[in-house]
Parts: sequence; C-alpha cells; structure tokens
Amino acid sequence: MPDKLILPLSGHIDSNNSAQIESELHEKIAGTEGALVVLDAGKLEYISSAGLRVILRLKKTNPDLSIINVSSEVYEILDMTGFTEMMTVEKAYRIVSVEGCEEIGRGANGTIYRIDQDNVVKVYNNADALEDIRHEREVAKLALILGIPTAISYDVVRVGDSYGSVFELLNASSFSKILSREPEKLDWCAREYAAMLKKIHGTLVPAGKLPDMREKALECARFVKDHLPDGYGDRLVSLVEAVPHDDHMIHGDYHTKNVELQNDEVLLIDMDTLSVGHPIFELGPMYNSFIGFSEYDHDTILKFQGFDHVTGRLFWRRALAEYLGTKNERKLNEIEDKARIIGYMRLIRRSIRRGCIQTDEGRQEAELWTKELIGLLGRVDTLTFNANEIELEAQPGNLAEVQEFVDEHLRAAGCPEKAKMQIDVAVEEIFINITSYAYTPDKGNAAVRVEISEAPVSVTVTFLDHGVPYDPLSKADPDVTLSAEQRQIGGLGIFMTKKLMDGVEYEYKDGQNILKLKKNL
Amino acid sequence: MLNITKTAEGKKFCFALDGSLNTNTADEFEKQLREILPEAEELYIDLKDLTYISSAGLRVLLSAQKQMSRQGVMKVKNAGGFILETFEITGFTEILDLE
Repeated sequence: MPDKLILPLSGHIDSNNSAQIESELHEKIAGTEGALVVLDAGKLEYISSAGLRVILRLKKTNPDLSIINVSSEVYEILDMTGFTEMMTVEKAYRIVSVEGCEEIGRGANGTIYRIDQDNVVKVYNNADALEDIRHEREVAKLALILGIPTAISYDVVRVGDSYGSVFELLNASSFSKILSREPEKLDWCAREYAAMLKKIHGTLVPAGKLPDMREKALECARFVKDHLPDGYGDRLVSLVEAVPHDDHMIHGDYHTKNVELQNDEVLLIDMDTLSVGHPIFELGPMYNSFIGFSEYDHDTILKFQGFDHVTGRLFWRRALAEYLGTKNERKLNEIEDKARIIGYMRLIRRSIRRGCIQTDEGRQEAELWTKELIGLLGRVDTLTFNANEIELEAQPGNLAEVQEFVDEHLRAAGCPEKAKMQIDVAVEEIFINITSYAYTPDKGNAAVRVEISEAPVSVTVTFLDHGVPYDPLSKADPDVTLSAEQRQIGGLGIFMTKKLMDGVEYEYKDGQNILKLKKNL
Repeated sequence: MLNITKTAEGKKFCFALDGSLNTNTADEFEKQLREILPEAEELYIDLKDLTYISSAGLRVLLSAQKQMSRQGVMKVKNAGGFILETFEITGFTEILDLE
C-alpha cells in the first residue's frame, strides 16, 4: 500500500488565502510522488469556491485524493457542490473518551469498553481502522442474517488517536465476568457456551463471504516452520494442508470475554475475526485463551479473563465435552491435542513477531510451547476429528468405555431405554468378538463410530478394525429350539445381535473389517 | 457392575443378581457357581434386580442348567423386562425353568 500523506486544512479558505494555501500544499506534496494524499479537514470551518478550486486542481494531479474529518457545515458545502460524489469525503467523528470506563472485552484487534449503561465502544488498536470497522460491521450483519445473535455497531467515533465503533449492549455480562463472580454457574456457562459454538459451526456461509481460516493457518504454519527443528516444520505445514476446506462459520476468537449474556440471551461480540473453516481452527485459539497463554505463567489468565487457571482448565474441558457430546477422556484428550498444535503454532508466531523472545521469560515461554508442539507433532496424525468416533485397544477391559461412549450419543438423541439396552448388548457382542478374533495373539485397535440420522430416526454403530478378515455373520445361527442338553455354548452373541438390531452388515474394505449395526428408534 | 448375593442352606443354594451380567462380570458369577455346583441339589437364581444380560451371561446360565439337569433342580426367578425378552429371543424360556 502506498504511504499516506495527511495534510491538515484549517480555518477559512477563500479567495484571500487560497493561492497561498495551494502553494503550501504543493510544497508538502513535492517529493512524495505516489503517496495517497488525504486532506484532514478537522479544523476547517469554511471553504469558498476559490478553495474548492484548489481541491479540484489537487485532485487532477492526485486522483485518489480524499478528505476526512469533515464538519457538518463543510460537508454540506461539499455535498451541494457535488464533491462528495467526486471523491471520498468522510464526516468528522464524534469524540468519545474511554477514560475510567470498564474494559469488558479484548480481542486481537481492539478493546471493548462500556461507555454508559446502554452502550459499549470497541476501540481498535490500528489507528487507521476505518476499513477494519467497515469489515466488522459487514461480517456482523452477515452473521445476524445467518441466524447468529450478535451486536451490530451503529456509529463510528474517535477515541484519542484511534477509531471506535459503538454498540448497544444493555445489562450484559460477559461469560468471563459470570465465571469469575459466580463460579457455581460454571456448568451452565459451559453448556450455553458450547451450544453457541455448535450453532456457529453449524452455520453454512455462502462462498466467498468470509475469509478462510485455513489460509491464515497455513501462513502461520509456514512462518513457524523455520523456527522448528528439521522435519517438524514440514510436518506442521503438511498437517495444516491436509485439513479440508470447510464453508462453515467460525468465530476466530471465541473466548468467554466475547460471549455476552444480555437479558437471558447469549450473544457474540468482537466479530472481526469471523471466518470459515474447520472447527479445529477455532479450538486452537480457544485452548490458548483458557490454557495456552497461561501455561508458563499461570497468573496471565487472571489478568485477562478475571478467573484463575484452574477455572480456565475446568471450563475448557467442560465446554469441550459439551461441544463434542462426550465426556470420554480419551476423546477429549485426542481433540485437545489437535487444538494444541494450532494453539502453540499461533503462540509461537505471536511471540516471535512481538519480539517477546528477547526477554528471558519470553524465551522460556516460547521454549515451553515449542517443546510441547514438537511432542505433539511426533504423535498426532491428523488435525481433523470425528466427535462421534472413538478408537481404543480392542480388549475386554475397554468394553464399558465403548458402551458409555455409545450411550452418550443415544441419550442425546433421546433414545428410549429399551432400544438403548438392546444396542448396548449388540455393541458388547460385536466389540467382544473383535477383542477375541481380530488380533489374537497380538494387540490392536478398534474404532467405534455412532451416527444418528433423522427421518426415520435411527442409529448406526460402526466397528472398524485392521485385524484378520473375519465375517461374524457367516456363521450359521444356533438352533434355539434344542433342549439345554443339546444346546451349544457359543454362537449366541451374533444371533442376539441380529435379532435385536434392524440391520447388521459386514464388509472387508481397505484392509479393515467394517461391521455396521443399525437400529430404528 | 454386578452384585452377587449368595445364600446357602445345606445343598440348596440361592444367588441373587443385581446389576449387569456381561462379559466382564460373568466370570465372577461363573466362579462362584463352580464352587457350589459339585454338591448342589437345588439352585435358585433370582434375577429381580438384574437389568442387563449379554451372551456371556446366557452362557453361564446355560452351563449351570446343563449340569443341574443331571444332578438336581435349577429355577430362575423373577426374570422380567429386558431379561425375559432376551430369554425369549434366544429360546432360553424353553431351556430354563422360569418362575
């Protein structure tokens, strides 16, 4: 972008002084060829036709000329004479002070203050923020149209040397404030917070309307790559590259200061990072806000969120469990590990860019994040995940975990108790079958996936293993009319499964045994 | 989880099962049965509080029934709901003496 040359205009400009002002302007412009000339009319009180001609001539040599900070009086003159259609003319902004105002939110691009009972202002870090403000207003409008509750700014103001956008936010409390003042509401907050996150991630965004977070993550990975030991950088880049494009919405800075409770309604603020992408790109920064940022110095989170790191970790895990629909620790750890890769990657770049690693403490912090990231890169195969699938060692001791994982999804789907019991039995029979035959005498893993489909409501439980090809359905059913003496012990499990389910299918594909159970609810 | 309450009166034994009779709990029940089966003449199994049964549980009941058919009486009491349905599907209603 070309440099900006901001030239102040002041007082009255008329035929008495227009020639002098014109030559002064030329002097200042001389030697800055290519710069964008911006006339700052903040102190301009009056301009006559002689003055307007000066501007017209300036516009000829500087086609992108713009005028900012125009008072209502001067704006009227420019509007009447058609200048507002010839060039960019921006009205002066109301001046607002945030001195002594409560800080209620802080994001990557700005800080939000409450200026009175009904209104808040977001002050942008970037002094030249009008484009950012326009962007945020656009994306907030888009989110609202797509059904995401959010506040939309109704005014742009000057705050010191920066710009701010003003929102109406009545009687609202951020989730950070609720968590720090009313810790007993943690479970409720986690549920609401996760419900909102699911709503965001379930929102499909028309193509091209929002930036793609995957692109930004790739940029970040390539930056961090050079700061990692051989091989690990490439590994990081290829993990991010392998995440598929996703047109669902992500907030981009979804921490508890950006979620507000207003009159029993949960709504989002700080929408400037709104993007599309795979949920992992959301979970990474979320991990940072609750844990990553304060992993080295536990006090950091207290300063930022108002609650301590113990609450932060507890809330993160609860919210993650609600979001994924499972309390399964193995599953939560798996997805947390993926989120940490994105999280640490961002923290490391931030630390390097901001020069934090110049200090001893900053360097140790970055070293901790780097060490963790390297450890994760050594064991995580993919950043994508399936919340309704669990992979564990095929051994009978894991049966209870598998059943509980399936049951969580059944309960969420409102599955009747009887059907749940029948599915539990079928799950036991199939899983135990895999533990007995798939890998003996070696060990190996099995994956169990639960899918609920609507209309008609049905549940499908799929078992996958890489063991020896084995079709349990190929065995003949036991004769259940025989007497106790004649009955064989065995073969009953698969028989019961077939009887209890509405469909049982087996196939061997891509080196995997795939067994599907289907039950109509 | 399975709670097993055993009562004995001479060669008459009663087991009350409470919880789930599955792959992981059937072994314990089978072990307790083996201890008494050699001398048992009467065996009562009360399933009033049993809520869940899989094929692993059925196998234990079947092998106990096979042995008791040769040496005495075995009765299964209070099987209801899901347990009874499972017995019906698998033909166990014909094999077991249900009360």
